[in-house]
Formats: sequence, C-alpha cells, structure tokens
Amino acid sequence: MELTIQSDLMEKLAILTDAAKYDVACTSSGVDRKGKGHGIGNSVAAGICHSFAGDGRCISLLKILMTNHCIYNCSYCQNNCNNDLPRATFTPEEICTLVTEFYRRNYIEGLFLSSGIIDSPNHTMELLFQTLYLLRTRYDFNGYIHVKAIPGADPRLIDLIGHLADRMSINLELPTAESLRTLAPCKSRKTILGPMRQIQNGIRAYRELPTHELTSVNRTLPEVVRLSNGDPNRKSFVPAGQSTQMIIGATPESDYQIIKVAESLYDRFELKRVFYSAFVNVTGNSELPTLPGGPPLLREHRLYQADWLLRYYHFQADELLSADRPDFNIYLDPKCDWALRHLEQFPVEINRAPYRMLLRVPGIGYLSARRIIAARRSNRLDFSDLKKIGVVLKRAIYFITCNGHTMYPIRMDEDYITRQLLSDQTQIPKEIRNAGYEQLSLFDTGFSGTNTAIS
Amino acid sequence: MYTYICENSIDGILTGVYNAYADKHSHREIHLTVREPKNLSLFTQYLPVETDSEKAAKVARTLKARFGQDFYETIYQAAMAGDVPGKNTMDKADAIYETIALALASGDGTKTLLSLGEPCVFRVFELCRATGREAMHLLGFVRFQELENGILFSKIHPNHHVLPILGEHFSDRLPEENFMIYDENRRLALLHPSREHFFLADADKLDLYATERFSANEAQFQNLWVTFFHSITIDARKNPKLQSQMIPKRFQRDTVEFQAF
Repeated sequence: MELTIQSDLMEKLAILTDAAKYDVACTSSGVDRKGKGHGIGNSVAAGICHSFAGDGRCISLLKILMTNHCIYNCSYCQNNCNNDLPRATFTPEEICTLVTEFYRRNYIEGLFLSSGIIDSPNHTMELLFQTLYLLRTRYDFNGYIHVKAIPGADPRLIDLIGHLADRMSINLELPTAESLRTLAPCKSRKTILGPMRQIQNGIRAYRELPTHELTSVNRTLPEVVRLSNGDPNRKSFVPAGQSTQMIIGATPESDYQIIKVAESLYDRFELKRVFYSAFVNVTGNSELPTLPGGPPLLREHRLYQADWLLRYYHFQADELLSADRPDFNIYLDPKCDWALRHLEQFPVEINRAPYRMLLRVPGIGYLSARRIIAARRSNRLDFSDLKKIGVVLKRAIYFITCNGHTMYPIRMDEDYITRQLLSDQTQIPKEIRNAGYEQLSLFDTGFSGTNTAIS
Repeated sequence: MYTYICENSIDGILTGVYNAYADKHSHREIHLTVREPKNLSLFTQYLPVETDSEKAAKVARTLKARFGQDFYETIYQAAMAGDVPGKNTMDKADAIYETIALALASGDGTKTLLSLGEPCVFRVFELCRATGREAMHLLGFVRFQELENGILFSKIHPNHHVLPILGEHFSDRLPEENFMIYDENRRLALLHPSREHFFLADADKLDLYATERFSANEAQFQNLWVTFFHSITIDARKNPKLQSQMIPKRFQRDTVEFQAF
C-alpha cells in the first residue's frame, strides 16, 4: 500500500462512526458466496462476528455514514440539521481504502454504509452508488455490503445499487405513521414503504428469473460488477434480503402494535429481519422521553424474543399479545408466558409430539426440536437424553413427559409453575439484571398492571 | 486388554483404528489413547501405533463411502480437539474408535451419530462441537498484521487444532495475499503463498524474528481500527461484562483493539 493517510481521516472516521452507531442492524448473514480466486472477499451465510464493542454488541461490518450532513430534522436523530455537532463527509476512495485494509486484516466482514441526506435523496444515493461501484470494480471487493436505501430516491438508483449490495434496508424508524409525522416530518410511510416494495419485487424477479436473462438495468452494468453466487450465469439482486429497524420507547406504541407491524413486514414485504433499537435520547429534545433508567433494554430483549417466535417458531403475533394485554410480561419470556396461558395443551410427550408442538415447549429451541425428531427415530428418549440434546430442562420439565412420565411429580397449575419458573434467574438476562434496579422499576410503571400481577 | 497408543492427530488415530481391526481382538478388550498412559496396568498389553497415512486413508475412505461425508467430517473435527472439560473424560481416540465400531456393527451406520445416549457418540459430538465453536470464533477474531515484506501475519492461542479450518476459510477469502497464521500453543504455522494452496509447517523452521517488523502503514490502520472500535460503542448501553462474555479474555489477548494503547 503506497497510500499516504491524510491526518484528518482518523477524525472523519470517529465522527462518522459515532453518527452511525444507533443503527442496530449489524449482521453479515444471509448469503454464501465463494471467493473469486482474485481480489478479496467471500461471504458466509451464518455471518461472522469480528469483535464486540464496549456495549456488548457484535461488530461485524464497518458501520459508517457517508456523511452526517443532513437536510432533515428528525427529532430522535443526532444528525438532524438543527443539531450543533462536528460534521464530516467521506470520499468514496477513503471508504474503499478503509474497507479493503480493514478486511485484509480480518477486522471486519464487510461494509455497512448509511448516510445523512446531503442536498437531496438522489444526490446522496448517487454517492452511495459511486462508492459501492468503486469497491466492487477497482478494489475487486467480493465481501459483504449492507447499504441503506434513501427514502425518496429515484427507483432507478435503488435498482442499480441493489445489484451491488448483499443486503439493503430502509428504516421504518417508528411503528406508526402518526409517530413518524410527529418525529420525522420529512419522511413518510409512502417514501419508506415504496422502495421497500420495489426491493421486494426486485428480489422476487431475480429469484424467478431464468439463468442468462437479465433485466434492462442490470444490462447497463459492466459484467464484473454484478454479483454472482457461485454460478456465473446467475446474477443476484440483494441476495441477503432486506431488513428494517424500529426505534423502541421514543413514542407511546405498545409491544402489541410493534410486533403486529413486524409480522406484517415479514408477511407482506418478505423482510429477512426487523431490528429493534432501544431509544437513547441523544438530542436532548424536550418532546422526547428522558428515560432516566437508561435505554429500555429489557423491552428490546422481549421484542427480539418475540421476533424469533414469529420467524422460527410459527407463532402469530395475536397468540402472544392482544389489545387487552398489549405488553410483554417483564418477568417471563414470551414463550413461557404463552405456555402458562395454554396449560391445557401440556404436557407434551417428547417421543410422539409433532415438530410444531415441540417448538412451542419452553426450553426447547428449534435445534433441540430437530435433534429430538432425528434421535427418536432410533431410540426412545428419556430426560437424560434431552439434556444431552441441549434442552433446557429447568424450563421444559413442567411441560413435557418422556414415555408418559414427568421428571418429578408436577401439578399442572398455573400459579405453581409460574413460581417455579420465576425462580429461574435466566428469565431476565444477567446483563440486563446487572444494569441496575432502576431499569426494572422504570418498566413497572410503564406496564398496564395486568401483566405484572404475578400471584 | 490391549491399549493402542496413537499419535495425537487424525492420521494417528485412524491408523490405530486400522491396527485394532487388523489384530482381530474382541472389541471389549481394545482401548485407544492419544496420551502416554500414566499408570500401567498389569494385564494390559501396550501397543505403540506408528502413524501410517496409507492405513489412515483407507479407514477414511471406508467411513466416507459407508456413512457419508458428514460422518467423516465429524470424526475429523473431533480428532482435532484438545482437552475438553466435562464429566465425560473418555479418551478422544477411544471415543472415535468405539463410535466407528458402533457404526460398522449397526445396520445403518449413517444414523449412529444421532445416538447421543451412547457415551462414545456423545463424546465425539462434544469434541466436534468444541472444535467447531472455537474455529467459528477465530474466523472472526484472528487479526492480521502487515509485515515489512507485505506478508499478513497472525498469532493465535487456540485450545484445539483449528488451523486446517482457518486455512480453508482464509485461502478462499484472501486468495492473492501471502499470509501466515501461527498457532503458538502447538508451535505450528499455516502458510498461504499468493494464489497457491495453503500448507502447515513446524514453526521451528520459521524465522519468527521477521514477524515483529511491520510495514510502514500498519500502525496507522491499527489506530484507525481502534478509533472505530471505541467510537461504535453506545455509552448509554455500556456493558463490559457482556463484552467479555461475547469475546472471552483468551481471545482478547491476540486482538489489536483489546491491547492497552
């Protein structure tokens, strides 16, 4: 590398990393792509974490903004145009250098590129495109790229950039159109959902496209740029799918509203992931909650647990919460909470229950459920086998039988089982418990009362 | 009783399996070990196994042909494991031998690995998982430093012999780089010359002094990375315990960002 590093690059990196850190999407997952035998980079479907920041979150991608200049005034965002803070802008070359030099040292799995809105959505999107184009061509970079689609940008730009990126995302920001109007007056549901639909259609079209055939836009890109996953004849468009993010706790929506929105994003927009970001009041804006107990981490945690139940455990949002019970139980995870309200479906016989039912048992994850199905073909399973398989028995024993017997004599009684489950310290993760008592008392006050009443 | 003392490697263990079958003793009388026995017992015959890659290859071929690639890879990965703590202290070579014997004796050996109730199968599963997990971690936690001569150099201290797994991954990822990963615990180095296949070498033959002379730009990129690493933390969510849980201290020692600057 005969490159001389400008002294201000360090400062820019500090500013534009700080400006990007509240976006929580960090995964590098969803696409398996072998190396090309030249250039650098490949991609592993499971994703790889390269380090963990001081807040315990995974660092996988170089997560930066192109610029933190912004013409918008979203009140929850520290980069909003009314905020007085140092501003900076990367050049595409600077980003390419950082990505490739970090990547070859194995610091990162790829690039996560977002941006404030500079001049106009189109101008911003063009800068992002130039950067990705340079990275994929001159720098011959074949690693993972996650890029933001800018709401309001020309659909043609979104189409072009979709051929260079592995994942795209447009943040929904807030769960309801009304909150969006209040806190982000320059954005609207329409400018967010429009590109989301476009990317969904693009991904679909490519999935169904016969090999060799290319869309008109794709034809305008030189051959080398287009991503191909193994099969050189098969081109792809946003192969790792799209994701979005909602801010939790800045506005008064209930957990029920939030997971209903998430569910419809999965069903109607085929999103790969919805991320939830516990609100941190960075702007000091008086219209926003101050959250003296810190960001609502436990609430965020419960939402992620519920999100997994939607994506991998075949639960519906309406099974978990309802208009009458709009928020998650703080003391119990959503699956235990559901099971306790449906004791009539338990206990479940491990050696006979169908896969879908095993998935609903607290303490049995989808991996354990699969192992149970495979193992019981040849052997009858008992409790010691389940332990080896990885079932969390301290949660599961109230809900299962092996060969007709429970592990201990158990009363199928809601109060009794609730008390037993509550003595399990892992119901509230250690990291959150350690974050202090205020955290919990703050949550208490936010609850409608029905959930927190534990007999 | 017969105890076969094997070299601690996949070839060593599979040669042991070959010899044990060739000698036609009853399975119940056979044990394999990769350790020097501490207490010799009176009625046991100790048979040192001389590693023979042809014998090992024959066993490997049989396993792949009869029980599938996945079965072989599980055995292979289990054989790379170092010490795995736990209640089950069955010797690695013994667990592998018994698992193979179980598969060969059963009607459908492709299912043998699902019988986690069998102590030997469970041990193989544990060993394989331990190696796999550490390798998975290191795919992310390996840090290369650019040396004066342009070679990318990394030093690691893994519990298990993960270099072959890392070699496959990084050769595909960085095909044009000359890189080297040095396992200081085993004094083994993985070498990848640009556009060629990687190989393992004994570190005694290497000039490790050269690995301390870095390129002109190295310090700057390390500083940039450390800047990024600190800037990305959300202070309101600070949680050092969670951080150390996710990247355990034994990995931190070999990364740039956890060194005191």
